[in-house]
Amino acid sequence: MTSQTKTTIPVHLDINGHRHTLQLEPRVTLLDALRDRLGLTGTKKGCDHGQCGACTVHVDGERVLACLTLAAQVEGRTVTTIEGLAREGELHPVQAAFLEQDAFQCGYCTPGQIMSAVACIREGHAGSDEEIREYMAGNLCRCGAYPHIVAAVRQAALEVQS
Amino acid sequence: MTVHNIRVGESKRGDASDGGADAVGGRLSRVDGPAKITGAAKYAVEQQLDGLAYAVLVESTIASGKVRSIDTSVAEAAPGVLKVLTPDIIISLRTASDWFGTPPPDAPYCPLARDVTFSGQHVAAVVAETFEQAVAAAALVEVSYYETPAIVDLSDAKAGDGIPIDAMTKEWGDAQAAFASAPVRICAAYNTPREYQAPMEPHGLIAHWEGDKLTVWEPSQWLDGMARTYAEWFDVPFENVRLVSPYIGGGFGSKALALSHGAVAASAAKMLGRPVRLVMTRPQTFTGYGGRAATRQTVTIGADRQGKIQSIVHRGINETSIDGMWVEPLGSVTSIMYATPNFSSKQNVVRVNSVVPGAMRAPGENPSAFGIESAIDELAYEVGIDPLEIRLRNYAEQDPEAKKAWSTRQLREAFAAGAERFGWAKRTPEPRSMRDGNQLIGWGVAAGTYPVRRAYGEAIVRILADGSVEVESSSIDMGQGTYTILAQTAAETVGVPADNVVVKLGDSRFPRAGVAGGSRLAGVMTGAVYKAATSALDQLVGLAISDPRSPFHALQANTLVVANGRISSPRGDGPDLSIAELLSSVGRDHIEATGDTMPANSTAQDRYKNYTTIAMAVPHTEGDYSRHSWCAHFIEVRVDEDFGTVRVSRVVSALDSGRLYNPKLAESQWKGGIIMGIGQALLEEGIVDRRHGRIVNNNLADYLVPTNADIPDIEVISVGIPDLHSSVLGGKGVGELAIVGVAPAIANAVFHATGKRVRDLPITLEKLI
Repeated sequence: MTSQTKTTIPVHLDINGHRHTLQLEPRVTLLDALRDRLGLTGTKKGCDHGQCGACTVHVDGERVLACLTLAAQVEGRTVTTIEGLAREGELHPVQAAFLEQDAFQCGYCTPGQIMSAVACIREGHAGSDEEIREYMAGNLCRCGAYPHIVAAVRQAALEVQS
Repeated sequence: MTVHNIRVGESKRGDASDGGADAVGGRLSRVDGPAKITGAAKYAVEQQLDGLAYAVLVESTIASGKVRSIDTSVAEAAPGVLKVLTPDIIISLRTASDWFGTPPPDAPYCPLARDVTFSGQHVAAVVAETFEQAVAAAALVEVSYYETPAIVDLSDAKAGDGIPIDAMTKEWGDAQAAFASAPVRICAAYNTPREYQAPMEPHGLIAHWEGDKLTVWEPSQWLDGMARTYAEWFDVPFENVRLVSPYIGGGFGSKALALSHGAVAASAAKMLGRPVRLVMTRPQTFTGYGGRAATRQTVTIGADRQGKIQSIVHRGINETSIDGMWVEPLGSVTSIMYATPNFSSKQNVVRVNSVVPGAMRAPGENPSAFGIESAIDELAYEVGIDPLEIRLRNYAEQDPEAKKAWSTRQLREAFAAGAERFGWAKRTPEPRSMRDGNQLIGWGVAAGTYPVRRAYGEAIVRILADGSVEVESSSIDMGQGTYTILAQTAAETVGVPADNVVVKLGDSRFPRAGVAGGSRLAGVMTGAVYKAATSALDQLVGLAISDPRSPFHALQANTLVVANGRISSPRGDGPDLSIAELLSSVGRDHIEATGDTMPANSTAQDRYKNYTTIAMAVPHTEGDYSRHSWCAHFIEVRVDEDFGTVRVSRVVSALDSGRLYNPKLAESQWKGGIIMGIGQALLEEGIVDRRHGRIVNNNLADYLVPTNADIPDIEVISVGIPDLHSSVLGGKGVGELAIVGVAPAIANAVFHATGKRVRDLPITLEKLI
């Protein structure tokens, strides 16, 4: 998929601090570019329709659904995925809180939950359990880890703010 | 499991409040957690393979009829298309045996349908160089049909009364006569709709042939069972099929069997000579396999004026497909929850034009409990007795059906602990008697149960040269915590920290395991690992005592102690060596032991049958005891008086799963079951378009599952005690138990809040206003 054809365009992506140049059809989503072209499979595909939140990544620091975003749309912007959250092997406080609070079971929605949670705290929407529930409601978890996700976000919010 | 190079702080590893996090029963954090929170965990279809081609399914748009023609010409000419598969363009497969291992008819099997029996049936598939090309070309396949009238669901006039399932009949005493003479009689009908497992990871696979050897990367609750099916379809030896499933993004019963889409992908891979990936779209997951069957029950109870049950007459039906058979055992809780001298339960199944329904969390027990646990609440109001008290008055001191003692039944303790914590004594009994402003408040209670299903498992435990321990098993972890509890079992048994144990699961090349279903895997596999680890430890100590090169040889000791990775004499004299030092001294690079829980003298055929079918599962009433997990749910709802919206505001559940191998993870599973039960009670319902027999809400925006904003804090209390009749280490089932009884507890709470008895799930606002 690296050779240029009539139907592909060059797309320059900045992901987790690394620059990538891909030859992609314009219809390729950011999600499929990450998973199928770059091997960054931490970002999950749960519905491919913007309904479940499993594909949540950060674009310029804001949470975005990678399944509803074309890869070509994020040229010149900074993309962070779950693989880029831990720095030098040190877990982000949200990741550590998810592990400590057992805020997941199967783990498939987890990268999206964590990316949403990091942004939720940054947005200032982690002030109360009620607020966390509301601002984390776009990320479905069928295993039903919600009470532990709330506990993890609450714990991480305190750590991040201190 | 792969090794993760992520530093995890000591506090993140778990806590030692239960006698040390590393041991069985400790609150060790998930050992697969670091991989899952960093995105490093590679799920089955995320394997990166050279030359991978992408397949997309084309489904029927009618519910009943025949495929007249399939025009593939435009699709075949589309960019990147490698192959279009149709019922006429696909390799011939053989019919596989079912999950009991019943020999199949000697007939070909085609996973693409000519005869259409439900909307959404696979009729063709497109394989292309890229996913995008396959999606685009799949839309260009033109299928035409001869359409015939469909039976769209149970309420269809054409559906009829169905087929009696004699095996479901349970009768003792004279239930009809006892009902006729009972002073108090209630009778009501309870319905549950089609519900869907909706795991976050869609079903899919990568199939790759090398000669006549097939590797399948596929999320799977049962590697050995699925490998058997693939082997039979493609007529290759069982050993030639390798299933790989390192992590599973949720199953809830739906990922236990090889399904037709798997046959399509593996056929395409064989035809093309390339690895093929096929992942269902989210809408396809609503018809590519079955969810929970829609059910109808009538529960009739005759009682005396003190609420003591004299008779239960129960009739149930569930839907199945036109050409497949699914029985959802609706009398399973009805027959054991309460002491009743007279009982009758019968069940029919009704064929409708749907995909064959399948297993979804607590199949049978879940809808069964909705019937009986709603009905007992109705009886409580009929005789004017507290809903908790009436359950205690009818407490079954032994299994009323099997007439055997319970192995353990901490249900009385669950009622007591839950009621105390919830504050049940403060409840005023009259409906509409508790409110907070515009919100009517209701408190409901219901019990749940799930049988202890048992089978046999096998594992290898290796003690390696560096003193670490390795466990291998073809069992799986879909979030229940198998990786973690097997690490704890090996750590405690051998005597090493859990950090020094690596558990490898999810590869059918490893020692075999049966299905991860029916809440049986933890009991089966902790038993097998315990046995293998004990054997490895015996070898280690034996070497230390008897090998002339061992520094312990001169001690002439009868035994030695292994703890925290070090070996010493129990008397404290003699040397104190690490396991690595000992192995080095005796010139060994590892010790290996296989352990299984199969009966002695089992043949190779017995083993194959045990691991690849469910035919050897041990009945829960085998021998002298009846074995079940139990729970009691106490739930508060708030109902908006004007709009009829129902919110669950408080849940306290007390559960008896026997001994918990890891309370931290068991509590998570219990809460997950309760949350799925909240969805079942208030949100979840497959809606059929009656014109086309099609599920119209086949996506995650229209098929409503609970979101974070729907769920309050949930308190769970363990009241279990070790039950050694149920498993080697004393646990009973965890995963399915907690959903059982949630929906009736909510329906009962809604009745208490509003005075309206909703007997038809889900409880949506139009049923309340």
